[in-house]
Amino acid sequence: MYHHFSVFKNESKLDLNYIPTRLPHRKFQRTLLNQFFRFTVENPGEMTQRVLITGNVGTGKTVLSQHFGLDITKEAEKKEINLNYIHVNCRECRGSLFMILQRALLNFHPHFPKRGYSAEEILQILIQILDEQNAYLILAIDELETLIQIGGSDTLYKLTRVQEARLKAPQRLSLICILREPRYLNKLDSSTRSTLQRNIIRLDEYSTSQLQDILKDRVDLAFKHETVSTSTLHFIAELASSENGDARYGIELLWRAGKYADASELSEVSPECVRKAVASVYPLVQKDVVFSLSSHEKLFLLSLARCFKHSKAAYLSMGEAEQAYAVVCEEYNEKKRGHTQLWKYIKELSALGIIKTELSSFGQRGKTTYISLPRVPALDLEQELAKILSTENRRSNTHAD
Amino acid sequence: MPIEDVISSKGRVRILRILTEIEELNISEIARRAGLNYATANQHLEALENAGLVRCKRFGRIRIFRFNRENSRARIIKKFIEEWETNK
Ligand SMILES: Nc1ncnc2c1ncn2[C@@H]1O[C@H](COP(=O)(O)OP(=O)(O)O)[C@@H](O)[C@H]1O
Ligand SMILES: [Mg+2]
Repeated sequence: MYHHFSVFKNESKLDLNYIPTRLPHRKFQRTLLNQFFRFTVENPGEMTQRVLITGNVGTGKTVLSQHFGLDITKEAEKKEINLNYIHVNCRECRGSLFMILQRALLNFHPHFPKRGYSAEEILQILIQILDEQNAYLILAIDELETLIQIGGSDTLYKLTRVQEARLKAPQRLSLICILREPRYLNKLDSSTRSTLQRNIIRLDEYSTSQLQDILKDRVDLAFKHETVSTSTLHFIAELASSENGDARYGIELLWRAGKYADASELSEVSPECVRKAVASVYPLVQKDVVFSLSSHEKLFLLSLARCFKHSKAAYLSMGEAEQAYAVVCEEYNEKKRGHTQLWKYIKELSALGIIKTELSSFGQRGKTTYISLPRVPALDLEQELAKILSTENRRSNTHAD
Repeated sequence: MPIEDVISSKGRVRILRILTEIEELNISEIARRAGLNYATANQHLEALENAGLVRCKRFGRIRIFRFNRENSRARIIKKFIEEWETNK
């Protein structure tokens, strides 16, 4: 059978559930988490802990917690401590404390019946199991918003009270709460809230260069050598950065762009593949927006589209753009507009989100403005513009007659 | 319980087979898998528990049964069933 070359060497490293061994730019937060839970491998049972991780979408909340969970249970195992880390997503559990605890329960008894006991009983059962197996549990409750919304504000309190009711018994249940919006904290009882506020780990949105480091790691793991250029990588990092520093979006783009490269039988992931990937995640540039541009804006955009269509570079300098525009004007028999006018077009087009500009010092030549086409595949854009321009031309020709 | 009583009952042998396959299970599920009604399954399980072959653990209202690993007869029966099942 004939197999075409693929840019991937191991696609699974781009899976959403893959936990990488390194977490660039989260070293500090990772250490903090370790410190909060140091006791679990030193004097387990002496105390419990409640920690809050917050941050926007794609800032690495889930992966940070899971990474910690893998490491700490390994360390406990070496010391023959029966420490378990269980990660439960509240949205998947439809905000039900019962389902969340059941997931934890099934971890210890995979065939435990799914029915026949109440929400009140299940917590007792879980603690009984932990006691019998002399086990400790760090329960990570991800997307806590749903639990607070649906389960009510006292659900977390129930989880903490069960410890406090057992005065002299070993403390077995610790919590990591993962929350996107810290304002939900106000809905919790004051004791839970104040504990969580003392142990908070905040994850800021990633910058472009941080995203580039994260994505670089994934490129090395998932792609063959020299199939993703630094320029393409930077392009993707930029896009993810403008989506609120969302690493998940960046990884998704990387994967989809690779798929488009394979589908087009390319030996390298080109910027056009990235644009196709962006358009496939969610199309942002609408046809009527393009339609409503002035005719010289259209000509200018057409010249950009033509440059980008075949280019291996994701960025175009202002000088290159001007030259391409001049060529297109000649082709359409139009007198080209001046430099200042082009600047206006650039401002307008970036405000519409069709192009992006960046002041950069790539070369040695000092600062230049670079233009990129982040959202639409250049080929689609070119065809669309050519179609619109030709109907406009025909109309104005009939008028001239 | 004499050995004849253990092996001569289809229901009991079925239950033992189920418990060799699945480490532990509650009564309703054992009854369902064995094709027995709840009361009969319960009787068999009680008999097997009295013979020391299975053990029952309580979690609130839930009872979970499993092979009694600490009992040497139970271990032998488990081995016997596994041998029987794998070399058909
Ligand atoms: N610092 C990092 N290093 C490596 N991968 C990361 C990092 N931060 C996030 N990721 C990856 O980005 C994606 C989104 O992260 P995730 O933890 O799911 O974000 P959140 O839970 O905050 O929405 C995941 O695929 C994750 O593996
Ligand atoms: Mg998450």
